[in-house]
This record gives sequence, structure tokens and C-alpha cells, in this order.
Amino acid sequence: MVTEEKKKELLAKLRNAVIQYDEDSSKEAANDVLAVGMDANDAIFNGLVSGMEEVGRMFEAQEYFVPELLMCADALYAGLDILKPHVKQLDLGVRGSVVIGTVEGDVHDIGKNIVKMMFDVAGFTVYDLGRDVPLDKFVQEQMKTDSDLVCLSAMMTTTMTGMKKVIDDLRAKNPNVKIMIGGAPVSQDVASKYGADGYAKDATNALKDAINMITALKKMKDEVEAKKSK
Amino acid sequence: MNTELRTELLSHGATVVGIAGLHGYISGDIAHLETAVSIGVDRRLNEDTLSILMRLQKRTVRFLKSRGYRTLAIPPDSDRKKGTFVSKLYSLFNHKMAATSAGLGWIGKNGLLISPKYGPRLSLATVLTDAPLVSDTPTENSQCHDCNLCMTYCPSQAITGREWSRSIPFVELVRLTACRTHKETKRSTVGKPNCGLCINICPYGRRDDIGSR
Repeated sequence: MVTEEKKKELLAKLRNAVIQYDEDSSKEAANDVLAVGMDANDAIFNGLVSGMEEVGRMFEAQEYFVPELLMCADALYAGLDILKPHVKQLDLGVRGSVVIGTVEGDVHDIGKNIVKMMFDVAGFTVYDLGRDVPLDKFVQEQMKTDSDLVCLSAMMTTTMTGMKKVIDDLRAKNPNVKIMIGGAPVSQDVASKYGADGYAKDATNALKDAINMITALKKMKDEVEAKKSK
Repeated sequence: MNTELRTELLSHGATVVGIAGLHGYISGDIAHLETAVSIGVDRRLNEDTLSILMRLQKRTVRFLKSRGYRTLAIPPDSDRKKGTFVSKLYSLFNHKMAATSAGLGWIGKNGLLISPKYGPRLSLATVLTDAPLVSDTPTENSQCHDCNLCMTYCPSQAITGREWSRSIPFVELVRLTACRTHKETKRSTVGKPNCGLCINICPYGRRDDIGSR
């Protein structure tokens, strides 16, 4: 069994690897976690994600800029790729699967990728359609995978209008599906007008919202575990 | 700090190191990283060149980060990891631009960086940073002058023969489609696009003296 001390040390190492965008030490720490038999969930949430939370804060405080943010995300993925196969499925009462993509005509996908990362971390099954995705493809993919969430991203006002069509089509086929939209030109107004359920302003806010979402998930996870141990 | 960094890199396998001051030339998300450390390794057809460059780059990043500065390492062209987040930013800055701005050489008629001592035989990597390094004097003009060897020897006639100068950017030096089409034909024999005659023929840095000026 792992000692508390070693556990703390590894969690700190994962956290720092993400903050200091050090892919090598992120991989190393993740392998150590598996070697000593620590819980992979614990390592992801209290190590990697906790580091990303700090990065989010530093980004807001303008201590970090986009390059650092992206390098941190790479470091997080380096660790996550190693830990993920060992994650035990959480019973959160939600069946998380999400279709995500940047709409037709738009090739800007940094924001989308960051949001996708957060879904990955949270253990969702992510169907990433990539960028410049034909509008029909979203509806098809949602029907095919029966996902409960569809996330649309657009960087330009010209491509943003495509979202409306996707939302209408999705609603017509499947009224229960939840739809989140995001990207630079999107606002709460647009989201309401288009009939989306959720909205994130840009990569920064998407990150923040996604982090909030994961923090909420973490709470739920803790509650589930607290109940189990009772 | 300049000398220290330079000595460290040169003693670990770098052939040349230059510092480029890029204040006002960097845009968007990386505007705060306005100094570039340009690292060149003489490739001499050595398979290890790439790993040496990567190691040097990591060393530079460690050196600067440990002193509290920000860095963005733009990896060597042939080893850009696809699919990572930061790979979206690689295209924001160009190795040859960093090298000429750091005074390592000029862009030859063959479209490659020509170092006065090593010719077009350097492989490049760049680290952008906000560290207050003293920048070297940029190269302003091509020193190719009347030499047209690469143009004569180019099997695809891709080289236009015009000369590079910092003051007139966006001059077409090489017809890229012609060059690429020719390199593609080598795929069947070597397994990847290949040519490099314009590197071989360049009199700058050539070791045997055939064809040198």
C-alpha cells in the first residue's frame, strides 16, 4: 500500500508538471503512480486537474498566455494518456458521451480542443468530429452514437450562423439532446436566440466553465464515495 | 547571461547560436516573447542531428525557465509533433527568420539559410523567450551575388535566381511546386521525398574545394 507521504509527493509532482508544462515529468509521475499502485482517478483529479485549475487562475491573472496554456494542456494529456486506461468508471448517475466539433467553414479549433480535453479528463466518451465539419454530420453522429450532449464551436460570425441550422435539425430529430455552443462571436444572446442549452464565450471561459464542471463532478464523486463508505 | 547561454549550448553540440531581437515583429498570442534564440547544428548528413537539436532546445528552455523567464520552443521543422495543442502555434514563427535576424546568415537563392562558414548545411531550432538577452546584428542582404550554382544544378529548375534582402520580403526565390514535385519522384527509391542538390553544390561551407569561389 502507498504511504500518504508518497501519495502527496506524486500528486504534487503531477500538479507541478502541468503548471510548469513539463511533459517529461508528467509522464514520469504518471508512470510512478501506476508503479506504486495509486488510484488513477485520484491522480487525475487531485494531480493533473488541480494543476490545470491553477493554470486557469494564472491565465486569468495574465501570468500565463495562450502558448503556456497550450503547453500545459499538452503536459496534462501526456500524463492522462498513461493514466486513462487504468481509470475505474465512475458511477455519477450521468452517462457522459458528447459529440464535439467546429462547424463547417471554420478551421479554428484550439478552443474546441481545450473543451474536449476537459471532457476527456472528466471521463466522458468524446466523439470529436474535428474542424470544418459539415452541418449534417453533427446530427448524423448524434443519432449514431446516441450522445446526450452536442458541443458546437465557431470562431467567425460567418460560420456561426451554421450553428442555428444544426440546433434546429437536432431539436427536430431529438428534442432531449443538450446543446452547448461556444467561440469568439457567440454571446449569451446568440445562445438563447439559437436555442442552445449552454454557452461558453471563448477558450478562456470554456476552460473556466469546464473546470467548474469538473469541480462539480469531483464533488459528486466525493459524495458518491462518502455514501459508499457509510 | 548571453555568454553563459551561448557557452552552454556550444559546449553541448550546437554549431552556431544567435540571439534575435524581434521587438514589434511578433504578433498575437506570442507578442510578449520578443527575443529568439536561434540554434544551428551542422548536419553533415548525420542522423542524430534532430535529437541533438531537440536536446539543445530543452537545455535552452531549462536554462531560461530556471531563471524565471517564459519560453516557447519551436521544434525543428522535421519533428513537429502533430496533434498537440501547441503545434497550432508552431507556424507563427519561422526558423529562418529567427536565424537571419540573429545574424547567423542570409537566405540564399536556394531559399535556405546560408551561413558564411557552414553554408546551407545547418539544421535549425528556435526558442522564443521574454528574457532580456542582448541581440546580435541582423543580416540585411544576401551574399550570393553572381553565384548561380544552385540554380544551374537544380534538376527541376525551381530556383528563380532572385536575391533575398530583408528590405524586400515576399520575393519568390524557389518555385515550391516544382521543387516538391521533383522531390516526390524520389519517393519510390528512398521512401520519402528527397533531393538536396542545392545544398550539396553551395560553395559556402563546402569541405572539398570543388566549385568553391
